Amino acid sequence: MKHPAGLLLAAIQAGRGRAFPLLLLIVGTLVLNGIDRTPLLNVRDALFDQYQRQMPRARTSEPVIVVGIDSQSLVKHGQWPWSRDLVAQLVNKIQTGKPLALGIDIVFAERDRYSPEVLSARMPGLSPEILATLPDPDRELARALSAHPTALAVVGLSKALPGSTQPARPLPEFNPGAGLDRHLPQYAGALASRPLIEKSAAGEGLINASPSQLQANNERGVLRRVPTIGSINQLPFLSLPLEMVRLALGGGAVVPESDDRGMTAIRIGDYRLPTQPNGEVLLHFGRANANYYLSAADVLAGVHPPEIFDDRFVIIGFNSTGLQDRIITPLGESLPGIDIHAQVIESLLSGDALQRPAWMSQLEIATLLLGGLLLIGTIPVLRPRYAVISFTTMSLLLIGGGYFAFFVGRWLFDGVSQILLLAPVFILLLGNTLVAADSRRREAESQLQRSREEAARVAGEIDAARRIQMGMLPNPATLFANERRFSVAALLEPAQAVGGDYYDCFMLDEQRLCLAIGDVSGKGVPASLFMAISKTLTGTLMRRQADLGLAVRELECELSRENAEYLFVTAFIAVLDVASGRMEYVCAGHDAPILQRAGQLSRIDTVTAGPPLCAIGDYPYVAAELQLQAGDRICLFTDGVSEASDGAGMFGVARLQSTIQKTAGADLQSATTALRDAVRGFEAGHPPADDLTLLLLQWRGQSA
Amino acid sequence: MMNLPTREQAGVLIVSVSGRIDHTTSEEFTKALDPLLDHCVQGNPSVLLDFSGVDYISSAGLRVLMMASRRSKAQKGVFAIAALQPMVQEVFAISRFNLIVPCYVSVETACKVLGS
Repeated sequence: MKHPAGLLLAAIQAGRGRAFPLLLLIVGTLVLNGIDRTPLLNVRDALFDQYQRQMPRARTSEPVIVVGIDSQSLVKHGQWPWSRDLVAQLVNKIQTGKPLALGIDIVFAERDRYSPEVLSARMPGLSPEILATLPDPDRELARALSAHPTALAVVGLSKALPGSTQPARPLPEFNPGAGLDRHLPQYAGALASRPLIEKSAAGEGLINASPSQLQANNERGVLRRVPTIGSINQLPFLSLPLEMVRLALGGGAVVPESDDRGMTAIRIGDYRLPTQPNGEVLLHFGRANANYYLSAADVLAGVHPPEIFDDRFVIIGFNSTGLQDRIITPLGESLPGIDIHAQVIESLLSGDALQRPAWMSQLEIATLLLGGLLLIGTIPVLRPRYAVISFTTMSLLLIGGGYFAFFVGRWLFDGVSQILLLAPVFILLLGNTLVAADSRRREAESQLQRSREEAARVAGEIDAARRIQMGMLPNPATLFANERRFSVAALLEPAQAVGGDYYDCFMLDEQRLCLAIGDVSGKGVPASLFMAISKTLTGTLMRRQADLGLAVRELECELSRENAEYLFVTAFIAVLDVASGRMEYVCAGHDAPILQRAGQLSRIDTVTAGPPLCAIGDYPYVAAELQLQAGDRICLFTDGVSEASDGAGMFGVARLQSTIQKTAGADLQSATTALRDAVRGFEAGHPPADDLTLLLLQWRGQSA
Repeated sequence: MMNLPTREQAGVLIVSVSGRIDHTTSEEFTKALDPLLDHCVQGNPSVLLDFSGVDYISSAGLRVLMMASRRSKAQKGVFAIAALQPMVQEVFAISRFNLIVPCYVSVETACKVLGS
């Protein structure tokens, strides 16, 4: 049973650490596709609000005047509802100024309380004459409304309530088509003004907020979308502000633009606003401004000249704490609901609305997938620092792209949700990279540690091998310490820790001295093993076989027996009768030793020499003979001496001979050291070409 | 990898060897020589190493030649060396390798003997 943490890690690392991030990316795509049902929607809305806060709509002109029924008006003219002849007075005052269109954000659904019928019902004592002289407030208002293009408010109702009617002024000549109609808000009935008032107005406009979509937004109290059109019992109605523009244009044609998803824009005359499929406008808010608000009381009192309304849209509505609903805009401002109408008219006139067509969601899903796949493809192969840089760059591109799109065309592109959805993918990928990097580092550390230990161990073993190899070589100084008849000096320095050279010197009996020098082909550990065998066999066979030639043949035979690597040995083996000075020797492919006699140097004759031991395997070696004279010195050497290199040339036998001449007077041990120093001096720091061995013999003569 | 250009002349496969053949290059030399020795069998052209470009040969290099010689002998092929430089000639003389591998003064001489 695996540890749960181990199982989790295995799941995370599945598919080279890419499977799990891919799954997360798919989940992220599904979340983005259904973002309306997730808390991420709040993030998106906040982002879109932020765009507007940073780039609010510029309100350069003020085409709309709001005549507000504010606290001052209520103080002066009494509680709401006012008698409609007072409203009629207000309308007349405004219309003197010839506005482009007047909109009234009020529904006059019931009879006025001061109409003669209501008064007679409440006060039966009133005489009919008096009643006849009283003005009918509804008629007064109707008369005032008919003078100039005026739009009244209607409230669409989703089901027929008591008092709901069918408004009388639908949009003429508007055919949305069956395909589009089903996308638009549908109302079963409406709250509208009385037929008398209604019919005197030029048009009616909806003041509803969207029935479904907006409720979610209303929970936060932020108004972002405003419907443009809806239908009441299949009859189309524009929203109040748009209806006002239509009336101002003299009843211009209203044309919806649509695709198979629904509405894409609405056109009134030459003005156009992009919309959502359900006909809502994503309003681009401008900063609040009190300049265009007038108090109804001031207008009634004639404080403002009538020209103030000239060529402007005028809206009458509530602007009092007691009566109004206030809305919060994405800019974070609290405004009276009536301000929205003004902002809609401004937006339509400047053609400025936020755009979020249906393909924007698809674009976002595409960039999410692209970004995610890019991360999955690159993060595992990038070093952590570049991984972080690439994700940061991607995030900045997404955020910057959103701001750029808003700046260029008021496009609403949501890059932040994508970053939030890509973040888990990235964290997982980076985590995997770090986990992998960490385990690689640990692995490398332990490997380094192992190789250090291994190197130390090998070094230790090689060192031991070196000690054993050097220990196999006799020390002539101690071996022949009391010898008067001859003297021997030797020196061996391997090119590496161990080598393939060897020498030997020992007495076969009282009278006969055996000298041997050998060089196994190659150097290092392989040569050193063969050297050990050669040296041992030489010693053994020389002691056993009296005939030198036969001994060497036997030696080659024994060495060749188990020689899978085809190593061979050059050797010079001599047996000196220390009493007579007669020397027998066999040369097996070895450099001829140098004979120093009475200040003259010569090479020992190697005409009878054979090939190196083991080169052929059964060469019939024969011994040659040389009679030494008293004081003769013989220098045996290997190619570590003659082939020592200074990088350009080799030490050579000539240099060796001249060095021997110079050391003629020195004792044998000093001469050996001097020869070695000459070689090392010549190399001048260059690594030794091969193992260096020197074996020097001096025979003192018969008299000694 | 050591480059060994070959040419055929008078029924002899001539292999041009050049440079130093020492402890460090002997391994490469062995590997380069190996495929050529595959063909050094009875009835095939003799293999002749043209040593005119070889400056130096160490005991490790001699060992490669010894093994090549042994192998060709076992395959009943003919393996020889020609045109040794003086220094290499000296090494051959000291180590008596002329007893192991047939050595010729020049490629032409070798071809006269081996090509017949």
